[in-house]
Amino acid sequence: MKHSKILILITALVFIFLIGPFIMIFLTSFSSDSIMRFPPKGFTLAWYTKALNIEMFRTTFWVSLKTGLAATATALILGVPVAYANIRFNYRGKSALELLFSSPAIVPGMVIGFSLLRFFVYVSNIPIGIGLYLGHTAILFPYTVRVVSSSLRNFEGDIEQAAVSLGSTPLHAFFAVVLPNIQSGLVAAFILAFITSFNNVPVSLFLTGPGVATLPIQMLSYMEYYYDPTISALSSIIIVLTVIVVQSAEKLLGISKYV
Amino acid sequence: MRLKSRQKSLIMLLGAGSVFLLAFFLLPLLFVLSESFVGDDGIVTAARYIAVLVDEQFQNVYVRTLKMALVVTVIAVFAGYPTAYLMMKLRPSRKAMLMSLVILPLMTSPVARTYAWIVILGRYGIVNQTLSLLGMTREPIRMLYTEGAIIIGLLQLFLPIMVLNLVSALENVPNEVEEAALSLGSNKVGTFFRVIVPLSFDGLIMGVTLVFTGCITAYVTPAILGGAKVLTLATLMRQQALVLMNWEAATVIAVVMILTTLVLHTVMRRFRPRNQT
Repeated sequence: MKHSKILILITALVFIFLIGPFIMIFLTSFSSDSIMRFPPKGFTLAWYTKALNIEMFRTTFWVSLKTGLAATATALILGVPVAYANIRFNYRGKSALELLFSSPAIVPGMVIGFSLLRFFVYVSNIPIGIGLYLGHTAILFPYTVRVVSSSLRNFEGDIEQAAVSLGSTPLHAFFAVVLPNIQSGLVAAFILAFITSFNNVPVSLFLTGPGVATLPIQMLSYMEYYYDPTISALSSIIIVLTVIVVQSAEKLLGISKYV
Repeated sequence: MRLKSRQKSLIMLLGAGSVFLLAFFLLPLLFVLSESFVGDDGIVTAARYIAVLVDEQFQNVYVRTLKMALVVTVIAVFAGYPTAYLMMKLRPSRKAMLMSLVILPLMTSPVARTYAWIVILGRYGIVNQTLSLLGMTREPIRMLYTEGAIIIGLLQLFLPIMVLNLVSALENVPNEVEEAALSLGSNKVGTFFRVIVPLSFDGLIMGVTLVFTGCITAYVTPAILGGAKVLTLATLMRQQALVLMNWEAATVIAVVMILTTLVLHTVMRRFRPRNQT
């Protein structure tokens, strides 16, 4: 009995440690103090108005949104066939290709961003925004392959074979039978990849510059100069949105098994 | 005929993804790598590497980065195991609720998550205010921009990764095994160390690998909580590349990062049970 009390205590401390900071941000975002002080004094929504009205946050939000959607869509289009091939086929050089497909998740994001910057922006003069999109697609690719693979693994190939033996072409069977059956895996992959892109800093760090920045990069540079609850307010908004998305995705799709 | 159509479909399925990664991931990486071995005079040299590796600041930063990664990993193991173990014992609905709390730090913006620690550890943050209220300190303790602050920030990010890996490993340990050990006279602690830990060892190794390598390459946490005062490999690389415009040094640091990560992955794989490659 004593044993499990210690267990409960450690677990409780772990969860306070993990979740407490988010509550703290939330509390300070309503403080009327202009420096970050605890306990927060007064109540105001001024920081929220300020955060939403800062032009740079608005433009960079759209950059993050567009980059995230484009990179996620591309990574899925490239990744779904790869996942399908790896589950259904055995071929020569499979393990080498699988290594290539998973390596953007192993190579540090900073290194990916840095090498894209050196290679494309400096050597071939590709616009930095394109570099940002390519870099994000590369890091999302292993995610989409992994999530889609694991949902393909749970999908029995029997129906697909039935469709083919009844005269459907493999391509048609793929779109008409396979894809609809792994729908929830696809949605989970989309959500996870988009969140990964939207939150990314290490890759974006090198692929942003004058005129092109993502929201997290803009928040970082704002924090270097200002020390007021504006970032608390903005962070609260982002956290609440994330909680809503993650909670509903967890309820509907059990997203934690894919993380 | 059959083989040909099989080959055709494989090319169709794998072609686009492979070409994309070769062109926009591997090629740039190899370009930067090869560039780092060529001196200003166009001759192959290791001079750039030597210049960075003998630099005392680099050595200090490298050792510090490894040290902090080790501390975070050890704490994550000791806090993660009991947490994962208890979560396994809970009702499915409770377990699901805690699972969604565990993944929350992984899903939220790293900037927002790390910023929270500025609020907590800052001059007028809750820790300093509580200490002075209790009369334990005369003036605020500087907690930000220290190694401790970075360790705390990293822990919030990597403890969930450890817990997730341990939970999925413990799910494969049948309840009966534990009951058998207990009924055969083993006590709870003994059962835990001699039965549960060995059976979930694979998850532990995975967790350790991910946490350790993650700590070495993490950028946002040391950038916000360490700043330019307490540099790590990642923040040093950014400083060299974007502030000092020393591309060569940044490249060398990047290579050191990759090699360290690869070595860790390889070494840790040796510890994993044979049947699960």
